Amino acid sequence: MYLESLKLLNFKNYDAQALELSPKLNCFVGKNGMGKTNLLDSIHYLCMCKSGVMRSSDRILVRHGEAFFRLDGIFKREEKRENIVAKIIGGKSKIIERNKVPYKRISEHIGLLPVVIIAPNDTQLAMEGSEERRRFWDSTISQSDAKYLKNLLIYNKVLAQRNAYLKSTRYLDESLLGIYDQQLLAPAEYISMKRKAFAAIFTPIFETAYRKISNDQEKVSLVYKSKLLEHKLETLLQETREKDKILQRTTQGIHKDDWDFRINTFPVKKFASQGQLKSYVLALKLAQYDLLYQKKIVPPILLLDDIFDKLDNDRVKQLLTLLVQEDFGQVFITDTDENRIEKIIQLFDVDYKKFIVNRGQIIDNA
Amino acid sequence: MRLALHLLQQPKESVEEFTTSIGKMRQKIQFCKEGHNISDDDKCSICNNASRDKSTICIVESIRDIMAIEDTAHYRGLYHILGGVISPIEGIGPSDLNVSTLIERAGRAETKEIIMALSPTIEGDTTIFYLSKQLQAHDVKVSTIARGVSFGGELQYADEVTLGRSISARIPYGK
Ligand SMILES: [Zn+2]
Repeated sequence: MYLESLKLLNFKNYDAQALELSPKLNCFVGKNGMGKTNLLDSIHYLCMCKSGVMRSSDRILVRHGEAFFRLDGIFKREEKRENIVAKIIGGKSKIIERNKVPYKRISEHIGLLPVVIIAPNDTQLAMEGSEERRRFWDSTISQSDAKYLKNLLIYNKVLAQRNAYLKSTRYLDESLLGIYDQQLLAPAEYISMKRKAFAAIFTPIFETAYRKISNDQEKVSLVYKSKLLEHKLETLLQETREKDKILQRTTQGIHKDDWDFRINTFPVKKFASQGQLKSYVLALKLAQYDLLYQKKIVPPILLLDDIFDKLDNDRVKQLLTLLVQEDFGQVFITDTDENRIEKIIQLFDVDYKKFIVNRGQIIDNA
Repeated sequence: MRLALHLLQQPKESVEEFTTSIGKMRQKIQFCKEGHNISDDDKCSICNNASRDKSTICIVESIRDIMAIEDTAHYRGLYHILGGVISPIEGIGPSDLNVSTLIERAGRAETKEIIMALSPTIEGDTTIFYLSKQLQAHDVKVSTIARGVSFGGELQYADEVTLGRSISARIPYGK
């Protein structure tokens, strides 16, 4: 699977741009702040219906002073062309179309075009709170299991209502709280089951990925942690009902799940060196790529944002060797240094295209 | 603006007549004491209609839903407007809806069946679940209309045939 052509209109710092892409390797070269990452993000948006780098609303993806943005991509997937269009109007109304037909539910699009992004802030996966890790797994599992995303959306909606209700009044109707509890059970059970099954498949792939990119002999591990592995959510919710009422939020459930990252039995967050940390999160992303590849049959699109800033030249070479060897799909790379990327690419015999990015303008430099 | 121009072109007397009748309409208009439908009397024309089936009450969110169901001409019972669905995010809790009058109506001997025709959303589910629990104490049959994709989201957008059919073929609500 790959992106043949891409058109951007009023997206971030681009007014109107059109690109014809290589099915293999594409490099966006330019100084920082010129819009290289925005190009990767537009591709991510067409695959996932949201930004891969910004956590805020769609509104800020619209070019300054404009009322809407439009992205138009033609993908080649299993010999068929898929025309995906994403439109945000007034920062609110969001339309995703597949071959001119708008999706009734945007979530139905997730998984059609698998994508993995490797970016400088990936270390947040290990260093920040559990929300980052849930986001990573939710994104991975959602791309390979449509029912997972559906259940997750239901769970999150019911949870938001339950929390809003806990905050709304001191005279809570126990019967309504009980109903919210009941509504959480089925989606929570499904999500929990999938996360558990997924951890079992993901772990060995991750260990292999780590061994490939790290020259060290450390033993890495990854453990899924959830109270639901040993307790029924129904019981947990009943037990913490009074506590929830005082704290005015739901304290038990799959929104509390986490994953424990370790190197040689020590927590990555506290004990890993910078190099180990970088390798650890890179291995997570590569494992995500491998796993999606296995599950989806079609190779995911790989977006590599500023990996040279993150990894030394040797590791980048190692990474690219790995990708070339393993029958990879389409890859997009950004770099600030034209000569550096040129030299590395020439080591490999691969079809590629280079684009020079300057202040939201692109010069096709094939 | 267009209305102002139109009014200026009319003779003064007919404009006054028009405004008094609007004023009268506003004075007379009220909510039906039974099911909260709009009405120009204590009870609305549906409640007052002797040929309507008094044993069945259909719960809807708004007056628009009554219009949609009435258009199908498939339903002969009464209505109860809830005023929305339970959604604390939007500041709507059970006490903000017309629940107590519903419970009171359900307790009457003449009431045999209650049909819930609410949005096919998570909030609609919550509300159906909640009401069915509140109705457990009463001897009434509780059912829901088929809430499939054919509804296209909201009741007033459902086409008449689909809506009529699903009102006729309702599903008993399991507790
Ligand atoms: Zn009435």
